[in-house]
Amino acid sequence: MRAGKFIQTIFFTEIIKGMALTLRTLFTPPVTRRYPKVKRPVKPGFRGLHALAKNEEGKMKCVGCGLCGAYCPSQCIYIYTSEGEDHKKIVDRYEIEVLRCVYCGFCVEACPFGAITLSEHYEYSDYSREPLYMTKDKLLANWDRYFAGEKGLRYFRDFWRPKAENFSAYEGQAMFDKVKARRKEQK
Amino acid sequence: MITVTINGKEIKLEKAVTVLEAARSAGIKIPTLCWHEQLEKYGGCRLCLVEVEKMPRLQTACTLMVADGMIIRTETDTIAEVRRGVLEFLLINHPLDCPYCDKAGECELQDLVEKYGLTKGRFREQKRKVPEALEDPVLVRNMERCIVCTRCVRMCEGVQGASAISVINRGGHSHIEPFSGGRFDCEYCGNCVSVCPVGAIMSRLHRHSYRPWQLGSETKTVCPYCGVGCTVVVQVRDDIIKRVVPKLGTVVNNGLLCSRGRFGYEFVGNKERLTTPLIRKNGLLEPSTWEEAIRLIASRLSEIKDKHGSNAIAGIASPRCTNEDNYVFQKFMRVAVGTNNIDSTARTGFAGAQGFIENIFGQGATGNIISGLANSDAVFVIGGDPTTINPILGLQIRACSRRGGNILTVGHMKGLRYYTPLELRPSVNTEIALLEGIVSALMKKKGPPGSHPVLEARLKDLNAQEADLPRICGIQGKDFSRFIDTLAEAATPSFVIGKDMIQSKGGSYGLFLVSAINYIVNGRIYLLSERANEQGLLDMGCAPDLFPGYRPITYPEFRKRYENAWKTGLPDKPGLTIFEMMEAAKAGALKCIYVMGENPVFNLPHTKDVEAGLKNLSFLVVQDIFLTETAKMADVVLPALSWAEKDGTFTNMERRIQLVKKAVHREGMEDWKILSEISSNMGVRMNYSDAEEIFGEICRVSPLHRDLNYEEIEKGDAIYPYKGEPLRGSTDEIHIEKSAGREERGKLYLRVERPLFHSGTLSRKAPALVNICPEAVARISPATAAALSLKDGDIVRASSKTGALELPVAVDEAIDDSAVMLSNNFQGKGAFSLMEYEIDPVTKAPCLDSNQIILEKVNR
Repeated sequence: MRAGKFIQTIFFTEIIKGMALTLRTLFTPPVTRRYPKVKRPVKPGFRGLHALAKNEEGKMKCVGCGLCGAYCPSQCIYIYTSEGEDHKKIVDRYEIEVLRCVYCGFCVEACPFGAITLSEHYEYSDYSREPLYMTKDKLLANWDRYFAGEKGLRYFRDFWRPKAENFSAYEGQAMFDKVKARRKEQK
Repeated sequence: MITVTINGKEIKLEKAVTVLEAARSAGIKIPTLCWHEQLEKYGGCRLCLVEVEKMPRLQTACTLMVADGMIIRTETDTIAEVRRGVLEFLLINHPLDCPYCDKAGECELQDLVEKYGLTKGRFREQKRKVPEALEDPVLVRNMERCIVCTRCVRMCEGVQGASAISVINRGGHSHIEPFSGGRFDCEYCGNCVSVCPVGAIMSRLHRHSYRPWQLGSETKTVCPYCGVGCTVVVQVRDDIIKRVVPKLGTVVNNGLLCSRGRFGYEFVGNKERLTTPLIRKNGLLEPSTWEEAIRLIASRLSEIKDKHGSNAIAGIASPRCTNEDNYVFQKFMRVAVGTNNIDSTARTGFAGAQGFIENIFGQGATGNIISGLANSDAVFVIGGDPTTINPILGLQIRACSRRGGNILTVGHMKGLRYYTPLELRPSVNTEIALLEGIVSALMKKKGPPGSHPVLEARLKDLNAQEADLPRICGIQGKDFSRFIDTLAEAATPSFVIGKDMIQSKGGSYGLFLVSAINYIVNGRIYLLSERANEQGLLDMGCAPDLFPGYRPITYPEFRKRYENAWKTGLPDKPGLTIFEMMEAAKAGALKCIYVMGENPVFNLPHTKDVEAGLKNLSFLVVQDIFLTETAKMADVVLPALSWAEKDGTFTNMERRIQLVKKAVHREGMEDWKILSEISSNMGVRMNYSDAEEIFGEICRVSPLHRDLNYEEIEKGDAIYPYKGEPLRGSTDEIHIEKSAGREERGKLYLRVERPLFHSGTLSRKAPALVNICPEAVARISPATAAALSLKDGDIVRASSKTGALELPVAVDEAIDDSAVMLSNNFQGKGAFSLMEYEIDPVTKAPCLDSNQIILEKVNR
């Protein structure tokens, strides 16, 4: 053992090993991305900028029940509703202070109608707070921008099935392993 | 002593109560839907089922009385199973529209399903579909959500006594509907809303505009409307009052409210509120700054004071402002201006009547506990319907009747008509003769009690003959003797006196007679008060002849004390009453009036005269929250903060001092702050940092408020101390001025209607109350209508000596044949504009009952 160590010390084998790795890496493609030019593909279920979902008719799904705001740990969702002309509840203002959001996704989980969503978009820095204060119109525009086509459907099918439809979890729904195991046991 | 065991906990009880109450007293919660602590027990919802040992089946805790040695379990698996079953039955028809429903978050059914229930029922049929009933302007019914617990029906029938709603249809189709169909025809107390466990009956005022958990703050304060001083909780979101709800367990109203208290809060956020001071420039009121306005008022007041003397200035205080505001107001008038010309609209009845009665029975005679009315065995009501003037006091009278007490009324009281009142309805202007008859008959029956020689001396020469009454007053002898018998037999009678009595010709003599009846049968007197702080205003010395704490200013030793306290000399001559002010203004002796939170142009009789008087002034300052009729005439208008925006105290008619707390933030100054600024500009410094400091000074100065502070008041029982001794007046002499209006048959007389849904000019800024009662109507009896061939809704021209109005008529069976009732609430349609008055020499109140009126149909 001591002899082995002696040889290592004499011949700088570790350095050679290290240099070999360096040499090898020199010919492999780089791991880092040249970020603004090259973007990292987002994994499904990523929690990014908020959007308010629209239904098939293109109308806002949100009914203003306020559960998202009640659940929100950083209390950054503000909802103001009123009585509409047909005596139905209408949402006048739906606002999220994005800078205070912690992206826990509780709002999405709480929503009984699948109205609030977290998109895969994450690039929204700015020089002032104003543009990052999301209003109802901005949030609805986010839906068109980031959940166009199939994407919106997939979002709810794979991850956040709204509770109003069925309180049990969807077969393929993403969930923690432990929860999954417990569910199986119960069955 | 009964000992029961609930969930292993031994509970000792003094008397037999229900299992539910026993459990609640031990802090054990049993779920209920149909049971409510204000209501009769019903046993309909089956959720309070509990296990009792040695009883074969589960028992309803709300109806089962405890017995000694009972062993009760409230939470077992069987019970949970049964409760889940009951809830599943309820969910057969109850829609799961919680995200839309405004009740979600405070819904009792939701909480119970969360605790016991299934997330989804097994019932696969269609749920019952009933469209929402939106016909009513204030209440909305969603009968899909109704679980038929009948709390609302029991509240309406058994507590409020309006009997406006009922369960209709059967089985699965049963639901609640008002007898009047879509729109409610009721007292709009809204107590059904506060007992409904689900979202079946709700208020439309804040519909869909918030969720219960979004309410930012809750403030326990006092209702701003009448003199009962109900405790209300103001719930606010973003400085907008979302709703006003009552609180269970409070001393005055214990979870009940009336229409004004519950639905009349919207004036606070009204867009018409004044925001900046206005100064008259070239004949027009123009926005200005606080500095300019205050400097102008200070310099003008000083100028008038120098030129014409202090007594050329007068002040009108407000029964809607807090004690602190009124205290600073009278101090400002007495110290900075140097005059005793301070009065208020309390002079139109309350102040004089209270002074008169206290002069006979000693101070505090009219300050009795309102909830005590329910324990009386007879209630004698005269001079106005208590159920509309002071609705919560009216409820106590109804409760008295329910407990077996007798209701005795002089005149017809519409709100008490279902409570089998013994009613004496004297023909027009003969109340005095009737009261004389009652006193004589009682004296004959019971004899003089002998404890008040001065009063008895006055009664000696009174000898009305019972036999004459049918001829004079048109009253049946049989009714009269029943009335007298009931009154004489009563052990704990109460007397409720309204303003109509005080404002009639010979009002002080009438008051004397009622006092005499009260003395003979040994009762308690309640004096109805229309404004929140009418009592407190007088306590604070906003009267021309009294210092704070009812100290007469003519006594040099009292004056000395206040001079020492305020470190200044004080005027010794009593000032002008509010009516004398108007006369002096008209005559030109008065140059300036400072009005705080009052609208004399509208709230004083003979409007034209008042208007002419105020026009004649060289300077008029109005401090108010709206641009009222009076403010429009002012030279300077100052915007004040309303009841919800400031701290302070109100004193209710039972002399309970209660805290008014700031619930909403608004830019501006409190009334006392504005006054102290002006005072400082006039060279008399008043440095108060907040209302509490002013109250500290009040407690040092006023002998009635000694040793009080805000912490003490917060505890709830600050009925101010008397220490047994009357503080003012003596009973050596009772001034009586005998006079009575003459009866002229066939003529119509104008009477002031005091409606349930309005109060002064404040309520017309509350849209909900205006929606319930939108316009002034002249109420006439069917006989009058027939004689003039009028029907409901016809437009008439009502003219008196002082003016004429065009307004619709309503035929009402409760109205006397000789009377036309008109309220004094609607802009340009006030009864006071058609009235002349005479001042009662003793109470200094106006007599308004001899105003004849002519109705003519207007054809359109």
